[in-house]
Amino acid sequence: MVVDFLQLTVAGLSQGSVYALLAVGLIAVYTVRHIVNIAQGEFAMLAGIGATWLTAAGMPLIVAILVAIFSVILVAIAMERLIIARVKNLTTLFSMIVTLSVSILLQAIMLLVWGPEARGLPRFPGENLLIGGVSIRSQELWMLGALVVVGGGIMLFYEKTRWGKALRACAEQPIAARIVGISPMMASIMAFAIAGFVGAVAGVVSSPIALSLWSGGLLLGLKGFVAAILGGFSSFRAAIVGALLLGVIEAYVAGYVASGLRDGVAFLILILVLTFRTQGLVLKPTAVRV
Amino acid sequence: MTDSTAPTFVGNLTPRKRFWATNRGTVIGCSVLIVVAIIIPFTASASMMNVAVFAMIFALPAIGLSLLMGLAGQVSLGQAAFFGIGAYTHAILLTKFDFSGPVAAIAGVLAAMFVALLVGLPLMRLRGHYLALATLGLGFIVMITAREWDFTGRTTGIFGIGRPVVFGIPIDNNGLFFWFVTPFVVLGLIVALNLTHSRAGRALSAVNDSELAAESLGVSTYALRLKVLVLSAGFAGLGGVFYAYQVAIVSPQIAGFNVSVEFLLMVVIGGLGSVWGALAGAFLIEFLGEGMSELIPALIPGATGEVQLLGYGIVLVLVILLLPGGLVQATSALWRWILAKLPPRAVHTLTGDNTKTAINTVVAALPRVSAPLAPGEPILHISGLTMRYGGVVALNSVDLTVPAGTILGLIGPNGAGKTTCFNIISGALAPTSGTVKFLGRTISGRKPHVAASHGLTRTFQNLQIFSSTDVVGNVYMGRYRQGKAGVLRGMLGLQAHEQRANRDVAHDILQSMNLTDVAHEEAGALPFGRQRMMEVCRALAAEPALLLLDEPMAGLSGAERDVLAELLRRLRDAGLTILLVEHDVAQVMSLADHVAVLDDGVLIAHGEPQNVRNDPAVIAAYLGTDVDEADAELTELEGH
Repeated sequence: MVVDFLQLTVAGLSQGSVYALLAVGLIAVYTVRHIVNIAQGEFAMLAGIGATWLTAAGMPLIVAILVAIFSVILVAIAMERLIIARVKNLTTLFSMIVTLSVSILLQAIMLLVWGPEARGLPRFPGENLLIGGVSIRSQELWMLGALVVVGGGIMLFYEKTRWGKALRACAEQPIAARIVGISPMMASIMAFAIAGFVGAVAGVVSSPIALSLWSGGLLLGLKGFVAAILGGFSSFRAAIVGALLLGVIEAYVAGYVASGLRDGVAFLILILVLTFRTQGLVLKPTAVRV
Repeated sequence: MTDSTAPTFVGNLTPRKRFWATNRGTVIGCSVLIVVAIIIPFTASASMMNVAVFAMIFALPAIGLSLLMGLAGQVSLGQAAFFGIGAYTHAILLTKFDFSGPVAAIAGVLAAMFVALLVGLPLMRLRGHYLALATLGLGFIVMITAREWDFTGRTTGIFGIGRPVVFGIPIDNNGLFFWFVTPFVVLGLIVALNLTHSRAGRALSAVNDSELAAESLGVSTYALRLKVLVLSAGFAGLGGVFYAYQVAIVSPQIAGFNVSVEFLLMVVIGGLGSVWGALAGAFLIEFLGEGMSELIPALIPGATGEVQLLGYGIVLVLVILLLPGGLVQATSALWRWILAKLPPRAVHTLTGDNTKTAINTVVAALPRVSAPLAPGEPILHISGLTMRYGGVVALNSVDLTVPAGTILGLIGPNGAGKTTCFNIISGALAPTSGTVKFLGRTISGRKPHVAASHGLTRTFQNLQIFSSTDVVGNVYMGRYRQGKAGVLRGMLGLQAHEQRANRDVAHDILQSMNLTDVAHEEAGALPFGRQRMMEVCRALAAEPALLLLDEPMAGLSGAERDVLAELLRRLRDAGLTILLVEHDVAQVMSLADHVAVLDDGVLIAHGEPQNVRNDPAVIAAYLGTDVDEADAELTELEGH
């Protein structure tokens, strides 16, 4: 009983760390541009599928991963430069439609280039652990580790460094940000590059377990979005906690209730949070963004 | 959309001509649509016919979505959820409970509307992207529920839905089904078009221009938006009902995200917020999707599955980048191009030469005001009003009573808290503590439309004009409080009389402020001073009992100031109570019956202009500590 429970918890935390990385990417863009990037999940799938394809072509795993991540960052920057930046009147409504259309476009390209089958990267090196009957796969440790290193790093960058603070300031005080030396254009490019980077990392570390599928990004991105909502779309910490919580709740529902209901949980939480607590898990909201 | 606003005043026409003038587009459009719909089944090939039927069915949810996006300014990424709920309810009632077709259909529509109401009640309070993402979530929830529940047949879905029978004729081929759907689409179009032109529709379009101004005129944004969401879901539910009939099987993926995206695509390609665009978009997307699923595998060997997505993605991106107004924008551009090629007709030129317009200081007809109290009785009562922003105290325990039928001038140095005070009275801000009572009712801490509905309205220091309509349209919005027609009457088009009466009043008010010459010009194109006058007209159109004017004289020419001052005096004599914030000290002193002075959030003086003028505290606060020097400067200031 207890072992089952802990086993589900471990699975949930590792899946939650993927949601957390996506949430970090979403917030990174939102704080700078006030855009909800619906294509965030596609970054993950693109990196996963791309890396798998490269390893199948004979490239060493680590090189394939680095190439895939770098390519996705370029895709994210291209998305910002070629599409987002060119929309004249970027209202909330239009920003959603634009990122949605990019998401559809990326899905279609993945489908046409790599076909409809799900693919997975080979497992990363490492030993599986067995602690008190609970087995922890090495890949799950990689997923959690990626969150700690990459997600934590981005969080510290935004919260502690001068550049990170200037990025945040861009949305509120473009002129002040310019004084520190960041133009709104640069800030926007950086935000999308960061979103591409964390998305791609999430995609490659989860690919060996969760597999990568051309159409899988949307649902994944939405789970990241639910986590971001739990973080009030401004707090990285609250969003990461929310993402881990979401992963664990999903695992319990799949394990104890019915695996088919797993994907419904996130959206039920979404609607409940929006109804009763817009600021999510943020304890001291500075201002609720409505 | 491009109805040329000829400078003829609609109110001067006979009823029949007026009906034609306001409904010309709808009548012509629907007639053409009906003729085309009758012809299509005779001429189209079998495969074309199949696509056309689905286009007609999908036009219903698309029209609903275009209302939501155009009027409520919100996007639903889960329109397929309501579509699915309609289809499932209909199918289940038909197959499992043997309901008759019409009853099951109505139940399907109502079920979709009910779910929209449940979701909308909490969510329509939020702005921005929240509704979009919540409806997206709803789409997944509906799909997963349908997939996992025995009652909805899990992945198999509901099947065995019989063909509808109309007047004894079984609708058993695509041609007949097309004729079966078309009347409902036409009715839906008429309802949707009526709504966009109705009192509610205009109010919502005003909200999209300036929510604050619209609410200050009595528009309850939340309630109206919620109604539009529910209506939009009703359209989707009706589409679902027809879909269930046509396909005869309802399975979980019809509530899926891809279907929602298709609806969204139809609206965006058709032209955001355009009802006709949604219909055109439905046909375009259906045929595009059909073409893509044949074209792409031919171009790219080995491509399988939902390859039409590529086409959708490319088309969406291109439309947003190159043609953000969609088909509607393209059509009107083409129309203008054709008109330009034709030999020029006598074009109405609007005489907008403001400098030469002789300003008549004698106000012709005085706008009506409401005077619920006898002059001198307290109409507005402010007690202990305090406002803190973090550590900053903007207002500190202000007490003030305004007698009815008087003009109170509120003055003070910059940052004294005048605008904060104003915003609290009008309901735009909630105070930290203290209350505002208007006509004995507490109005502080409630939305601006609550105060407005009791007869309190305002103008804005930073103008809040409705830029998507003309000058008379702006003033006409001021009549919102006087109207009664709701969403339902608007949809049925039963408010011509009310609209006409209000339009007449709007014209009279424009006349009293010398704005008739620009009545049909775009409000945003007016010079600043006249925009300000227009805002005053708009506020007066509401027939308020208390009028709040936030720096009404700023930006006006000397003559315009005189017109306004004279008008305000006469309105006061007619019983209107006026509260004005003003920088022009001389104007305030000569106009106001009482003057209140705020400094650093504290009310430092209140009384007759002469007494306040000589109050040492006021002089010090206004111009520094040295009383003699300040007095000299104040005299100089008044001299201007």
